Amino acid sequence: MIETIYVEEVIKNHPRTKFILNKFKKSRIILINKYGEIFNKRNQNFRIQKANPSIILAHKKDSFVLPAPEGFGIGSSKNFYFSHMYNCIYDCRYCFLQGMYSSANYVIFVNFEDFDIAIKNTIKKNINSKLTFFSGYDCDSLALENVTGFAKHILSIFRTYTQTEIEFRTKSIQKQPFLSLNPIKNVILAYSLMPELMSNSLDNKAPSISKRISVISELASKGWKIGLRFDPLIHGENWKELYKELLENIYKNISPDCLHSVSFGTLRFPKRMFKDIFKLYPNEPLFTSPLSLNNKMISYDIEIEEEMTSYCKSLSLMYINEDRIFKCSI
Amino acid sequence: MNNFKIKNNSIRWVIALKEEAQVILDHYKLKLVNEKTIYPIYKNAQETHWLIISGIGRNNAAASTAYLYAYSNASKYTSWINIGIAGAGKGNYGDLYLVDKISNYNKKKSTYPSTLPKTTLPKMHLFTSDIPISDYSTYELIDMEGSAFFDIASKLTSKEFICLMKVISDGPKNDIKEITKSKISNLIKVNLFNIIDVVSYYERLSQEEFQIIDKPKLFNEIKSKWHFSTTQSFKLETLLRRIEIFCNRKDIEKIIKNCETSNSVIHVLSSKIKNNLVNWSKF
Ligand code: SF4
Repeated sequence: MIETIYVEEVIKNHPRTKFILNKFKKSRIILINKYGEIFNKRNQNFRIQKANPSIILAHKKDSFVLPAPEGFGIGSSKNFYFSHMYNCIYDCRYCFLQGMYSSANYVIFVNFEDFDIAIKNTIKKNINSKLTFFSGYDCDSLALENVTGFAKHILSIFRTYTQTEIEFRTKSIQKQPFLSLNPIKNVILAYSLMPELMSNSLDNKAPSISKRISVISELASKGWKIGLRFDPLIHGENWKELYKELLENIYKNISPDCLHSVSFGTLRFPKRMFKDIFKLYPNEPLFTSPLSLNNKMISYDIEIEEEMTSYCKSLSLMYINEDRIFKCSI
Repeated sequence: MNNFKIKNNSIRWVIALKEEAQVILDHYKLKLVNEKTIYPIYKNAQETHWLIISGIGRNNAAASTAYLYAYSNASKYTSWINIGIAGAGKGNYGDLYLVDKISNYNKKKSTYPSTLPKTTLPKMHLFTSDIPISDYSTYELIDMEGSAFFDIASKLTSKEFICLMKVISDGPKNDIKEITKSKISNLIKVNLFNIIDVVSYYERLSQEEFQIIDKPKLFNEIKSKWHFSTTQSFKLETLLRRIEIFCNRKDIEKIIKNCETSNSVIHVLSSKIKNNLVNWSKF
């Protein structure tokens, strides 16, 4: 239940604002000038807000498409991302958003058409390169799809530009709009996964792993290209058995032909961000992990990282070719 | 600043008039402090609730909020409450409203206090004016302190710890000239049940924060046995917080027992974390 929705004055009559507000008939609407008046101001408590977040409907002015950080790609020569939303309805304990923003409210930008223009311009400017766009770097790309309809909107571009890939990275079990559309070969539905036991403790409010796998299998059987993102890899007792069980379960349920790519990422926090997240949640089991300062990042030791990555990779190689396996290292 | 120890569930009240405060003073058993202070200040025996009578107007509200903060040694996790009567162009005479937007003449930008979740109490936009207003048609709630209180309180704590409540005392159908001292007290009194309910949320919030920031159980004990520099103390605190989740007191005492220096304490505790295999089935 969203109790309060803040709406920027300039978009109060935007059709998408009305469309979204119509879904929250009981919420209190408060008009504001700029989303910055509410979002990310100092002296806010992320953890308390997370228990009862508000929505902020806003107009994005610039920076619609940005280059993806180094190490984020899945094979293309150039990678970009865009976010129609800031923050997420889930509450994963390792999420970098909790260290990045001081507000847990969800900002939704309603001017999707400006994203369209920026994406098309980026494609035109890089006509000779293989591009991948990532949707929802600052949020989960599909978790609020039933409210925003952003994925459905943006898909039409990628139906036209068939040489350009788009990845929707998610933990949601939102099947629409994909189930009712014909698959688009350059669209990747990428799911973040980890063993159920770890996910139960870390992926707060997100759908269970078994539900995610069942949705992946349904969409894959419909012909959509699937990405598997084991990111972050989580260490702990019996981690080998847990990852073996997970990987085998997935590869048995999904035809390798539907797999676009598999990537493995390690658990890493910039030092400052780790400090902020630890301050918010000092009693979390995640912080009992063997994490320490390595190269200005808080992470597992390199030996642990490498052991986990190569173990999961070797298991995956029994099912898919090496050229579809990537290491995510941001 | 006084040396009062910061207490759990810490509440600070800023109220313009004694008549508005009387019911609160009685209910929370707050007594006038035994010292000469710039503004009248009251506190309970446990020193968890403090109340200041600010007087009317934005300057008084701002100054008294800052004064109470310093005088009562409030913390970052203290909750701040402003309650009082207000004029209104809308709503019902005598009803209690929570404030979720504040504006005033001087500032172009409005501010947006949080309100407690899942409440059935109605919410309104507050306009803080420097002069009494008799034309109520363009405003929801009108007072003379709210914006200044919020501006200062939000520098002292997160906005989730600040609450403004107003009881409608005058409006187009209830002339401001008819307000009397006893009417003011009565308006607050009839809403006391709701006020207590709201404040209990802020007490809990404050208490939970204090529990989170509380030093790890063994911190002071260990510090008394070895000499730790400031940086080392910070490291020790972080390590103990992490270890206490999976290790009991006895085990921690055992592993540090033979340490000769603070450095070696930190070293053995770091190793403990480094070698921990998290048992995810426990969490
Ligand atoms: S789903 Fe992704 S964006 Fe959402 S909380 Fe989890 S890690 Fe963060």
